[in-house]
Amino acid sequence: MRHERLRTVGAAVLVASLAVALAGRAAAHGGSLQADDARSLAIPLWLFLSTGGGVVGVSFLLTSFVTDRDLIRDIHDRRREVGLSAATRRTLAGVARLVGVVGLVAVLLVGAFGPADPLRNLAVLVVWVGWWAGYTMTTYLVGNSWPALNPWRVGLWLREWLPAPSPSYPARLGSWPAVAGLLGLVWLEVVSPLADDPRLLTGVVLAYTLVTLTGAYVLGETWFERVDPVSRVFAAYGAVAPLYSDDEGRPRARVPGTGLEDEGLARDASDVAFVAALLWVTTYDGLVATPPWRDFASAAVGGGVPAPLLYPAALLAGFGLFLGLYRWAVRRGRRDAESYREPAELARRFAPSLLAIAAGYHVAHYLGYLIELSPALVGALAAPLSPGAPVAVVLPAWFSALALGFVLLGHLAAIWVAHAVAYDLFPSRMQAVRSQYALTAAMVFYTMTSLWIVSRPYAAPPFV
Amino acid sequence: MPADDAPDGTDAGPPYDCPYCDGRFHRESYLSLHRGQEHPDALTDAERAAFEAAREEEEEQLRLFRLQALAALVFIYFGFLLVYAFSL
Repeated sequence: MRHERLRTVGAAVLVASLAVALAGRAAAHGGSLQADDARSLAIPLWLFLSTGGGVVGVSFLLTSFVTDRDLIRDIHDRRREVGLSAATRRTLAGVARLVGVVGLVAVLLVGAFGPADPLRNLAVLVVWVGWWAGYTMTTYLVGNSWPALNPWRVGLWLREWLPAPSPSYPARLGSWPAVAGLLGLVWLEVVSPLADDPRLLTGVVLAYTLVTLTGAYVLGETWFERVDPVSRVFAAYGAVAPLYSDDEGRPRARVPGTGLEDEGLARDASDVAFVAALLWVTTYDGLVATPPWRDFASAAVGGGVPAPLLYPAALLAGFGLFLGLYRWAVRRGRRDAESYREPAELARRFAPSLLAIAAGYHVAHYLGYLIELSPALVGALAAPLSPGAPVAVVLPAWFSALALGFVLLGHLAAIWVAHAVAYDLFPSRMQAVRSQYALTAAMVFYTMTSLWIVSRPYAAPPFV
Repeated sequence: MPADDAPDGTDAGPPYDCPYCDGRFHRESYLSLHRGQEHPDALTDAERAAFEAAREEEEEQLRLFRLQALAALVFIYFGFLLVYAFSL
């Protein structure tokens, strides 16, 4: 259910958006991509891809016209406090924790005992529509409220009541466990009917609950900082958001996206890898549902590759490619900019800019899905055990143009952030410009890859 | 900032070290710009003059770059316009 819907919506959004922006005629056909040969792209594929890449390249050229250091710094520093009293904050935190815990219990109970139809089951709708589509959007559009909502944080309370172990977390592990966890969850989502089978979903949520509670009890806050992939995803998306909390926990507001320019957001090479993984998993999710992947998988399995190995191998290979390309771009940019700064430092500073692109693609993939299925979600919330027949919203034709704005906005924000970071790093503005050539080329590659995938018709992933 | 271990040839040539911090640069003009931006209160008259000169040189390069970028934008815009006109 999910893949097909996502791919249709995502494809419609991206195609129509670029078409609307750059060629009026293609827009009329933009929403009718997919499925059979009669409904294909209105423009040749190579032109579609180069238009997408061209938009990113043009954004870079336009951004490079902004050469006023003071202006760039002012935009970053334009931050103000949000007036919320300590009592209000405590109340809100309490309500959020209650909502999180009640939500988790409801998902587990209804998932195990509720209707088997995924479109009528509260667990499936809450997890995929309410949480992974809707809630995730609030983390980059508003602010990361996951630390307040996260029901698994009750594992930290256990540390206060029970004798808490205090093993030291090996520093060299960094965030690699979270990288592995994110790749693992996406692999599981791709090879299993996690979005269609409420019982299976409940089992996975239950297993995650046990692992996370144990982890939080043993490692404390470090678990959510370094190991838990879900908390890391929301923390990463939260860096894009306009609302954030400062060192003392007070809420503050900033220009959206400028949080990505902050030093120390990516702490080490493993955090850089996490950003690359987040960008790659969206792409992978789409890639395995294309006909070229189907052909490739059939050939590989026919050639003697064990089918169960195929998906994780492709997942890791693509992740390595995305990360390797990013690292190459940073090293190349360092050379172009004639800098003595360490490549690792540059990689840490520029990596967060990619989060804006990831957020843009998340909107493109999930906004239509969220709106279409929100009546079903409301119906299930109103009557968890016996919801009525699912109702789906039919999206108007202009909808794709709206979501287009978000895709382009993600790219513009990424280019702007990298521009501002380069100005912060290099004394000469020509160095800043030159450092961006390779990074822009990498962003063009990421864009064209995603566009190529969404322009392929849907084909159910084989061998799963 | 240790800098002797660059395999890609970036670090060939004598480095210019900042006397006020551990900054290290490939060109004297980068060092002058860095000193003017990061240590404006510590500058000697000669360093201030070098900063002004480096900034003028930078402005000159930026002007040239803006022209090139503008040319690239025009090229991309009309390139796509023509390609769309003939492929649709």
